[in-house]
Amino acid sequence: MNKKPEPREIAGLLARLAVGGIFIYAGAVKALAPAEEFAYAIEGYKVVGPKLALLAAYVMPWLELYAGALLAAGVYTRFFAVFNGLLLAFFELLLAQAWIRKLPVTSCGCFGSSGGNSIQHELIQNAGLLLLTVAAYRYGWAYSADRAAGGADA
Amino acid sequence: MIDRKNARLLTAAALIVFLSTLAVLLGRQFSLGRTLPVPPFRAFGPENAPVQIYEYTDFACPACRHAAGKVDEMLKVFGPGLRVSFKHYPLTGIHPWSLQAALYADCAGEQGRFKEYGDLLFAGQEKWALAKEMPPEFEQYARQLKLDWPKMQACAAAPETLRRVKLDMSEGDLRGVNATPTFFINGRRAVGAGQLLDQAMKFDNILRSAAKP
Repeated sequence: MNKKPEPREIAGLLARLAVGGIFIYAGAVKALAPAEEFAYAIEGYKVVGPKLALLAAYVMPWLELYAGALLAAGVYTRFFAVFNGLLLAFFELLLAQAWIRKLPVTSCGCFGSSGGNSIQHELIQNAGLLLLTVAAYRYGWAYSADRAAGGADA
Repeated sequence: MIDRKNARLLTAAALIVFLSTLAVLLGRQFSLGRTLPVPPFRAFGPENAPVQIYEYTDFACPACRHAAGKVDEMLKVFGPGLRVSFKHYPLTGIHPWSLQAALYADCAGEQGRFKEYGDLLFAGQEKWALAKEMPPEFEQYARQLKLDWPKMQACAAAPETLRRVKLDMSEGDLRGVNATPTFFINGRRAVGAGQLLDQAMKFDNILRSAAKP
């Protein structure tokens, strides 16, 4: 019989579900919309050209969806906490360069093209999610597939 | 050699990837994604109408011309209960000028005459749809409606205009549109005017009660 999870493990579980859930939502919303829509948002960051933006728009939603689902389920929790953290860090870099260059980014593309928060808002939100991935990495074992499969990979 | 724990985790991972892929593909099939808004000049009827129709159309398609008349009649009969939003879905493989027609129609819309220009495109379809060279009708219709033709040309060549039409096309592809006209009536698909009227019958009560003064 499993022992009752400690409070920090509960916090880790909640962090894992929050980050995973947000990635699932962000990926699904974009995967259900035309890739071109997200590609135009990517082009707005003026880092890559239209062809690469379209390629990224085809790949990224699925990557977010799978990484989010695997983290939420606690499959290779630490690996996917790091993976999602790296994605968030990458998004932070993109947002920061757009902010510094004062690019007129009207839709960050984070959750499709609907609703557009300001770049500063997205920077703060992503920083919060990054902190949650740290919590998921350190204490995210409770009710995870890792534990169910036979011990955490800590 | 993969140990038992990793084998279980890899199986779980494969299952999660499979199920999430399936969920999204089913979501696409049932059009669960948000429908992109159309520019105001391409929408007819009150914004909060209980019955919302999205029409994927091609100005060079004869069935679309036929359906356009039915849609106009429905708008007249059911006025406040119905909103029709036009989406471009030019079948560029068989109609060489339909993309251009969609661009010019949107540019006429920018000058407030989308519907009128669209009606002229449908009416003169046989003259321009299969033309070998750039059809003069596009300019002729613009002049007939007293539109600013040089402005329309600049608008049609603008990347934003093409982008808007291409987005409609990609959205149509994603929703499984493969023939025109395809309608989504409160999310239910109908292909052609016949199916449109059949589907609309299912919303008859809503349409009639909304149409009552």
